[in-house]
Amino acid sequence: MQKWWILLLLITLASCRHDIRYEASDVILSRPDTVFTARVAIDLLEKKFSSPLGLQVHSFGAFMVYWDGFKVGQNGIPSTPGRPEVAGTETSYYQIPDKLSGLGKHEVVIRGTQIHLLEVERSVMAKPESYLKLLRQPLIELSLVNLMAGAFLIAAIYYTFLYYNSKYKQRTTLLFAVICFLFFALLALEYLKYYIDIPYTQFYTRLIVVGWLTFAIAVLIPLYFTIHFNLPYKLLFIGVLLVALLCIYIVNYDHYDLTARLYSLTLWIASVLILLYALVKKQRGSILVLAGFAASMVINQYMFYDFGLYIAFTIILLCILYLQTLAAKQLEEAHQASQLLSSRLQLELIKKNIQPHFLRNTLTSLMDWVEESPAQGVRFIQALSLEFDIMNEIAERSLIPIRQEIELCRHHLSVMQFRKEITYVWEDRGIQDDELIPPAIIHTMLENGITHSVPSDEGSVRFLLAFSRTGLHKQYIFEAFAENQERSGHQGGNGFRYIEARLKESYGDRWDLSSEPFAGGWRNIIRIDL
Amino acid sequence: MKILIIEDEARIAKRLARMTRAYFEQQLELTVCDTLSRGLAYIEQSAIDVLLLDLNLNGENGFEVLEAMVARPFHTIIVSAYSDKAITAFSYGVLDFVPKPFDEARLFQAFGRLISKNTLPDSPLEYLAVRKGGMIKMIEAGQLSYIKGSGIYSELHLQGGKRELHDKSLDMLEQLLPPNGFVRIHRSYIVSLLQAEKLVIEAGGRYSIQLKSGELLPVGRSRYKELRGKMI
Repeated sequence: MQKWWILLLLITLASCRHDIRYEASDVILSRPDTVFTARVAIDLLEKKFSSPLGLQVHSFGAFMVYWDGFKVGQNGIPSTPGRPEVAGTETSYYQIPDKLSGLGKHEVVIRGTQIHLLEVERSVMAKPESYLKLLRQPLIELSLVNLMAGAFLIAAIYYTFLYYNSKYKQRTTLLFAVICFLFFALLALEYLKYYIDIPYTQFYTRLIVVGWLTFAIAVLIPLYFTIHFNLPYKLLFIGVLLVALLCIYIVNYDHYDLTARLYSLTLWIASVLILLYALVKKQRGSILVLAGFAASMVINQYMFYDFGLYIAFTIILLCILYLQTLAAKQLEEAHQASQLLSSRLQLELIKKNIQPHFLRNTLTSLMDWVEESPAQGVRFIQALSLEFDIMNEIAERSLIPIRQEIELCRHHLSVMQFRKEITYVWEDRGIQDDELIPPAIIHTMLENGITHSVPSDEGSVRFLLAFSRTGLHKQYIFEAFAENQERSGHQGGNGFRYIEARLKESYGDRWDLSSEPFAGGWRNIIRIDL
Repeated sequence: MKILIIEDEARIAKRLARMTRAYFEQQLELTVCDTLSRGLAYIEQSAIDVLLLDLNLNGENGFEVLEAMVARPFHTIIVSAYSDKAITAFSYGVLDFVPKPFDEARLFQAFGRLISKNTLPDSPLEYLAVRKGGMIKMIEAGQLSYIKGSGIYSELHLQGGKRELHDKSLDMLEQLLPPNGFVRIHRSYIVSLLQAEKLVIEAGGRYSIQLKSGELLPVGRSRYKELRGKMI
């Protein structure tokens, strides 16, 4: 809200700008060497204020200013033989005595020396204005500029902290922090002239730095969009942009204001191109940002105020801020989804032991053992309870020691041995005790193996788990040595979805799973990239 | 009695076999298959009276297998861990659904349905599966007008005059159809009570039933009383 009021104030200020009417002659400048005299004839036609008259002078050098022959002030100290020049500032202000500021013809004489930057042939300018307004104008401008600069400094600091303290180090976050900081620096530097007297000898230093800051922003804002909207050929695009900006720099060398404006235009065009791409791809936020860019162009075109460009920049940065929050929301959603996945997987693991297929078949066999051979039945119950124990221990974890997984598999095999009355043999090779693995994934493969294996001639089914590790990845090979029974339907599919989801939970995309028959049985391979 | 057991867990298969032998004693021809594919292959080659089927009804093709089985000329008893699927299985026309874990009494109860008539199943049959040109067609029980026995087959007469052939005998269908909706009126006929219009006594003391479609079906002398009771 506050910002809108200030905008309103600006528009009002812009509209009632001319409260003085005058005609000024061309500057008659005589500069034989380092000494110069400039004369301007001013005809005051109308004054709409009663406060003192002021004079604004733009000139390089160190000089005295005379109004109708009366010295109204001095800027720097002109050099005299034996004393070097003390450089004045490019812009200086003077108060005109009331008795000399009546309507009619007046003459301004500026006399002094300019030792440096003579080659620039900087023009001299003198403008009468309400003295009060001359004093007040910078305050008004600064109030708005400081507001913007402060906001972006805070944003820069906030997003830097956010980047360093965030689990997900998003490049766009850091990039946004950098852009905010550069923009803060740009505003601060642009308006530094109101705080300190910059000697005219350093006048171009500020413009050069402002130019390069604009250059950097013109690269980084489109870069931000390419990353955020995931543009293809990012490097190529940014490369072309860089070349374009460098061309502008070289062609318009020394035309500081023009260069900065052209940089901004390039920024605008490059960004709009990316945004149009994003719009075609129906990416979230593209319409709003595009609208922001349109608004910034309108403001830049129709507000002839000094800082129209900066308001345009501010709108663009606000749009990026909006994209930043969109990205944060997406992260939040992804995080929630992953948490949901984890709890779903936990549930699935717990369900393994109570799903009807397992539980009711086990209970049926158990009934039979109890009825037919109670002593064996008791051993069966013990095996079952051991499997349950381990399931219970691992249920809430996303990674468990491989030895625990093997224990689980062995207990499962002894349960299944009671049920199926098939001899199951477990072997493992190369297992490293400190290795971790998502819970029950080998167990799931074992279940599939039991369901789909028919004992070969010796009447037994053998399972082998082998671990190996290279510089690039670690690998589990799990093999069932038996006759394969046709695999179709749900059970296997469900199991594999569980394994895949578990691998994804712990390793992201850095894994590979294969499962296929070989001459002597079935082979599963889990490969995890290091 | 020819019975086939399809059960992949050895211990449970043994249990089923032992109990089945205990129930039927001498007059039993029992076969056990440890995989579904072997069992289905066996059915193609040999005639059976009853199938004890362990079916993973949570699987994609569990009900497909079930449809194919209930269309056959034998009774199917499902022995399954998925007890929540019992109602659906009944609606497909299984003789019984024995949930795991089961004891002898429960299995004997299922076998009891083979012999005694009018034992109400837990839930009514809703569909009759008909084999037609290698495909299985599911016919809603509500569509039935009457069924005519035709040797080892039955003719399903649907409302609107369509006819389908079912592999099961009239006696077997009588065991599956809900007794409050269908009545055996004759050695060769079962009629849907909803489609019965009125009882007709013809000259010579012969009884008939007139359907809403206008068709007349004979009513057996011994069944007249029961039928009259149900129609009032």
